[in-house]
Amino acid sequence: MRIFSILVSVMLLSSGHTFGQFLNKLKQKAEQKAERALDKKLGLGQDQNNNNTGNNQSTGGNSGATEGGSTRYGKGNPSNSGGGGLVSSPPDVGQNLLDAETAYKKGTFGDARYSVQQAILGVELEIGNQLLKSLPDAIAGLKKDETQDEVSSNGYGWAGLTILRKYRDDKDKQLMFTIANNAVWMASINAYMSMGGMAQQTNGQQNWKQIKYKGNKAIIEYSESSGYKLSVPIGQSSLLVFEGVNFKNEPDFMKAANEIDPDSIKKQLGEQ
Amino acid sequence: MKKTFITIGFFFAVVTGFSQEFDKSLTSARTAYASKDFSNARFAMTQMLGILDEAIAKEILKLLPTKLGAMDYKPKEDQLTGGSTGYAGGLFVNRFFGNDPKTASIEIVNNSPFITSINAFLNMPMIGMGDSDQKSVKVQGYKGILRKQVGADDNKLTYELQIPFNNTLLTLKVSDTTESEITQFANAIPLSKLANVAQ
Repeated sequence: MRIFSILVSVMLLSSGHTFGQFLNKLKQKAEQKAERALDKKLGLGQDQNNNNTGNNQSTGGNSGATEGGSTRYGKGNPSNSGGGGLVSSPPDVGQNLLDAETAYKKGTFGDARYSVQQAILGVELEIGNQLLKSLPDAIAGLKKDETQDEVSSNGYGWAGLTILRKYRDDKDKQLMFTIANNAVWMASINAYMSMGGMAQQTNGQQNWKQIKYKGNKAIIEYSESSGYKLSVPIGQSSLLVFEGVNFKNEPDFMKAANEIDPDSIKKQLGEQ
Repeated sequence: MKKTFITIGFFFAVVTGFSQEFDKSLTSARTAYASKDFSNARFAMTQMLGILDEAIAKEILKLLPTKLGAMDYKPKEDQLTGGSTGYAGGLFVNRFFGNDPKTASIEIVNNSPFITSINAFLNMPMIGMGDSDQKSVKVQGYKGILRKQVGADDNKLTYELQIPFNNTLLTLKVSDTTESEITQFANAIPLSKLANVAQ
């Protein structure tokens, strides 16, 4: 009887997919820790570790595939250590408009559409770069980190332009500022806005509330692990998101957010 | 004879209208871009996308069958949109056939949010295992999903066939039918030509 109940328990546990995943992760973590401890003692680096201890490749399957690329397609593959990345080549707007016109006249509408999408992509990247240039060099004593600047677009127009800028100090304080022209994000933020009663409260600590930011309705959130987050919808389809890590308190974070001029951004995005 | 002339004249008027709209938006886009007015340049280009999607939708309608088995299509109910400003915006074409209780519809949507899950199902058969009401099939060499639904009141079967072409999704839905009949209807749709025009 006891054996039967043990068997049933084992079957239940092993059939639980989530539990299985948990066990695997636990196993991987333990193995990685053990490997690291061993490497440290032997004075081996990651590459030496992969080359010298054949068994490690099966235990660190994930790390091998992502870090060294040596287990993914068999043993002995070299890791990429150069190449310089892709040549940055935003689409040529003028040329794509010309291509679209030619394709349209020929009646190849699919090709014309592709060229228009590329032209939109090119224009959106220019809008993004223009906006980044207009942002302040420093906010609340945090300097801009241009190496982290990002502009991304999917070329569909008004649906997926995202611009990102980070401000940080020498320690661990950071303000990440995102400008999004994204219908999906807007839909979710507007759902929050229309349900004012969704303010969350846990053990007397309020982690979510609606506020006004320079005349615009906004939502501010706080999380112990990620810090402050302020989301401000502007115009018809744009959203500003400020994410502050290691700010002293809400007023300190809001003071930093107030250094941005949302009206100027709105104007540059052509929003009303 | 007179009727033919009127029809041809109407067709040319529509095509010319399209072309004028496209040219107008193209000129606006070029002018705005040259003066670094990027937001208006983008707006004009989005208008161009809408015009192109509408033109593509009309091409698709010309390719769709006008009859499925004994069911005639309903010309007045043909639907098409060319708006590309929304999230799932872009190309959309819908054609309806027959009358209750036996009807059918063909829908073609570009950038459909369902494409990812359908492709996942087609590429990883494990996902759909255990569901006897759906299976993967091949029509004219294209992989697709066939789903069966049993009517709650009359126990009649409705089948739905979904075939993805890259970022475009074709859906054929037929009520009061059988698997062999919907397969026969699907074979009457020129999938290869549609895929070329829609992409």
